[in-house]
Amino acid sequence: MKTVKKRKLEPFTIVSIIGVGFFMVLCVIPFWMIISGSFTSESKLATTGYSLIPQPFSTTAYEMIFTGPTVAEAYFASIFITVVGTALSLAATSGIAWVIARRLPGISRPIAIFAYLPMLFSGGLVPLYLLVTQYLHLQNSYFAVILPLLVAPFLVFIQVSAFRQLPEAILESARIDGAGEWRIFFRIVLPLSKPILAVVGLFYAVHYWNEWFTALLFITDVHKYPLPLLLQNLIQNVSFSQMLPTSAGQSPPVYQLRLALTAVTIGPILLAYPFAQRYFVKGITLGATKG
Amino acid sequence: MSISRRRLLAAGGGLSIAALFGAAGCGGGEDDSGSGDALTVLLPGDVPPGWDAVLNAVNAKLKADLGFTISPQFTAWANYKNQALLKFTAGESFDTALQARWLSMTQLVASKSLVAVDEMLASGEYPNLSKTLDPKLIEQNKWSGKLYGIPQVNAAARIQHFNIRQDLAEKLGFSDITDYATLERLWYAVKQKEKNVIPMAVNSNMPDLLISSGQPVGLFNQYSWENPRPTTQAFSGDSLPFVLAADARQTGSSRPVPFWEGPGMIEALRAVRRYYLDGIINKDALNVDTSTVNSQFESGRYASRWAITDGLSSKSSATVAAAVPGARLANVVPLRGGTAARPYQTFQADNFVVLNVKGGSNEKAMQLEDWLSIKANHDLISYGVEGTDWRPVGSDKFEQVTKYTFPGFALCWRADLELKIKDITESEDAWFTWAKDYDNFTVDPFASFIPDPEPIKREDAQVVAAMTQYANPLFVGAVDVDKGLDALKKALDKAGLAKLQAEMEKQANEHLSGR
Amino acid sequence: MSALQTREVRRAASKPKPAAPARRPRPLRGNLWVGLLALPAIAFFVVFAYLPMVGLIVAFKEFNVADGVFGSPWNGLDNFRYFFSSGEAGRILLNTLLLNTLFLAATLAAGITLALMLNEIRGRFFKRVAQSTIFFPYFVSPIVISIILQVLLAGVGGSGGAVNDALAGFGLPTVDWYTQPGPWPWILTVVKVWQMGGYLSVIFLAAITSIPEEVYEAGAIDGASRAQMAWRITIPLLRPTAAVLLVLGVGRIFYGDFGTIYAIVGDNGTLFPTTDVIDTYVFRSLRQLGDFGTTAAVGLFQSVVGFILVTAAVLIQRKYAKESSVL
Repeated sequence: MKTVKKRKLEPFTIVSIIGVGFFMVLCVIPFWMIISGSFTSESKLATTGYSLIPQPFSTTAYEMIFTGPTVAEAYFASIFITVVGTALSLAATSGIAWVIARRLPGISRPIAIFAYLPMLFSGGLVPLYLLVTQYLHLQNSYFAVILPLLVAPFLVFIQVSAFRQLPEAILESARIDGAGEWRIFFRIVLPLSKPILAVVGLFYAVHYWNEWFTALLFITDVHKYPLPLLLQNLIQNVSFSQMLPTSAGQSPPVYQLRLALTAVTIGPILLAYPFAQRYFVKGITLGATKG
Repeated sequence: MSISRRRLLAAGGGLSIAALFGAAGCGGGEDDSGSGDALTVLLPGDVPPGWDAVLNAVNAKLKADLGFTISPQFTAWANYKNQALLKFTAGESFDTALQARWLSMTQLVASKSLVAVDEMLASGEYPNLSKTLDPKLIEQNKWSGKLYGIPQVNAAARIQHFNIRQDLAEKLGFSDITDYATLERLWYAVKQKEKNVIPMAVNSNMPDLLISSGQPVGLFNQYSWENPRPTTQAFSGDSLPFVLAADARQTGSSRPVPFWEGPGMIEALRAVRRYYLDGIINKDALNVDTSTVNSQFESGRYASRWAITDGLSSKSSATVAAAVPGARLANVVPLRGGTAARPYQTFQADNFVVLNVKGGSNEKAMQLEDWLSIKANHDLISYGVEGTDWRPVGSDKFEQVTKYTFPGFALCWRADLELKIKDITESEDAWFTWAKDYDNFTVDPFASFIPDPEPIKREDAQVVAAMTQYANPLFVGAVDVDKGLDALKKALDKAGLAKLQAEMEKQANEHLSGR
Repeated sequence: MSALQTREVRRAASKPKPAAPARRPRPLRGNLWVGLLALPAIAFFVVFAYLPMVGLIVAFKEFNVADGVFGSPWNGLDNFRYFFSSGEAGRILLNTLLLNTLFLAATLAAGITLALMLNEIRGRFFKRVAQSTIFFPYFVSPIVISIILQVLLAGVGGSGGAVNDALAGFGLPTVDWYTQPGPWPWILTVVKVWQMGGYLSVIFLAAITSIPEEVYEAGAIDGASRAQMAWRITIPLLRPTAAVLLVLGVGRIFYGDFGTIYAIVGDNGTLFPTTDVIDTYVFRSLRQLGDFGTTAAVGLFQSVVGFILVTAAVLIQRKYAKESSVL
């Protein structure tokens, strides 16, 4: 257990509180604009552009979102993609990141370059499309959404840099004790890297949760649409070009819908966030003495 | 980290590989689409609420009548163009799709990916379809003598015009507007008397419609409302409009000039600039999209907006009336001479249902189009199940009861079969009816001329970029006319205006001599 | 306390721990055994990244769907000429570099600053709430950002807006933001900082979390103030992480942030003088024609320049800070 010694408030701490507080305000106001706006009737939003008090109150947009026949299926699809995808991604990323971080002669650097190049060069959409639909035959499978996004080079290197900060002494002593490389990785490296695993996992989860483009490409069965694709379609259903005849139906509440969609997307992430947060927000122990 | 642009552009490199695999014959193109006895139909937009029930009814009937079913795939609008092109390029075997010049039709025709349907139509095997397609419609929508899709129209002609708040107009003493000058006076009256209402709504999708367009009128171009006989052509939707000689048909020489040299154009630019400075139009035109502006209009923020003769602008009546008690809509087409103006028309459809060369069965696709030309079938897929989703109002109108809404123009728009919406205002009804009659229009001398951008595609791309940057601000009045026009001319010169102009002249003259 | 000691601490802190130097020659087999851990990711890259790269050759082809790659004639570097002959290339390249440099520097600085500041905050509850709050903008879609910006800068109908109301309130002249290109690099930078600050701070927070307690204790015994410790201990230890982000960012410096910029600026030509980047220009000019050869050529150009810049960055880094080199 650590106890915090009583100290006087230092200037930097005060500056920090003010700084963070200021940034928070910049984030909270738009956040409230989105939440409040999503509950305000379209006629008010369209004349002012925003609404800080949900008055006149309206849930039209949420009704549109949640009364779709496939919303439950979409939630299931998204949760599946997010959970399975994040687990697979985290495993694959940790593996390659550790190999790069180890600086093994003749192995680590080529692999690093190998993992980096796809960040710069991309063959484009069609080869990928053909690969998935005509060779792997993954269309209408959730794995068609997961696999093309499995490893993000960006996050590989974030993890590499974190692995390289691990105290070498512990690893060395494990080696001296005769632990094998795999054992070291699973028993020492991974448990010590919880903060970065939480961060990378969070980023992957966010990525999968928001992913609609690969779903658009590979999922044509309405009943398998993940949530973001459903939401994308909803918002884009409003006319897009002058050449388009408008449909005969009532026009959807565009402002309200856009805001409500943001709220719906953010919701689950904000709920999941604190769980990941535990690992990388440690209590302040800086300058504390052990008690 | 962002690869969105690549995504949006279908990331270059890719497409060729599709062709590569296709050419090598190892792709095959057999996948889920087109499997079994279901025709795969590519549709734009979102899955309509209540779709499953309607589709089941449609398929049951189709199966009984023709022995096959359909399996539609919906793609959201913003992605439709790329998704459709991707599926064509990948050699997939879907059966029909929506295509248009503003989508990828030019490209697909050039690559022979589309079935020419005129011979099939002429065979007489599809009587219901033939019956609903006016011969003039077929004739004017041929590209180099071939019809590459079923034109989807709900009227003969499309004339852009104004949808105004009739209640405001009456309140301000303009109960009947028939000419542009009066309309302009209404706007200034609104500006003066109605503090919270902006007289006219403009959005970022329409700068090219305001001054010069082949529509045949420029929305803010008074000259064009008085002389609706322009011969405007452009290589692509956002490219530079050329004005072709009015007597080209007689002389055989097209002599295209950039739009600003056409009659009335500069005056129109100055008028828009004045509207911008006087607050007649919204100042954020370049940044707001269509749906946002429409939503604002429906909330009473604007006194008028863009409309086209598709009979659908009145659908906002109820929403406007709910937001502003007493609000009523009307349509104003300020043509000099009114319904007797006989403006030019190319009669070119904005949208086509095309048949995929690699589709499972082009005959079945045609049978489907034929089947959809029978009123009961057409109504079923267009409006849903009668009694549940909609009910008829009078003989030619309908009321949508549920939220079911189908993109009919992507599969089954037939001018004769479309029902009018219940709320259609008297004025809109009148103009819509007028627009349904081919005899109310004069055939544009360049009606079936489709300029081919291929020989100058790089220059055209540069010109499109220059137009967006320099012409659009000019069109919505955001910059000074003289300075803006100078900048535009300079940019266009650099981009290759001369080459485009020469190519346009060459192609237009060839078209004239080919007649 | 002694200055010497502090310096000693600083040196110890800034010197990255030697990460598994291959002091003892290890049998290659053992290395390969470890290498197996990378196998799933390698398989992924081969199948989903490298295999589709065959598509890049279309950059050198006069592509048309009918002829396919074999039939389509080669056209050498013609596709590359399109962009450079536009007359706008200079300005667009400059915009791309300038905006991305601004974004990269500002978001990194914001991420580090926020992480340092969050680390200072003691109340657990406040800290968690603060964290969640500043992370949230990352999820706001560009289109909603654009709506919020319009409310702030233009108001409905394009006249007014919260900022102008405030300016008028102070008796200052109002600005037609959406027709003035001048302030936009800064506006976009603020948007990027807002969007990415919290996201990046998470990465740095994780790095701070892994700094051993002892390092700070030494500093505390020295009597260093918290600001001094942040400056002399934490920041140097964040350097490797920042270096990674920097190098990765440099590689993509020729790509614009298309999603955000396009959603905000759209087709508003009056703002192009300062906001038009390669991606938006290419998107705008080619969306109609769908000329994929040219698009691929521009993409390849961006990639190659990125590759050169990254190579340069890595070489420089190796020369000056070998231990923390990324690749």
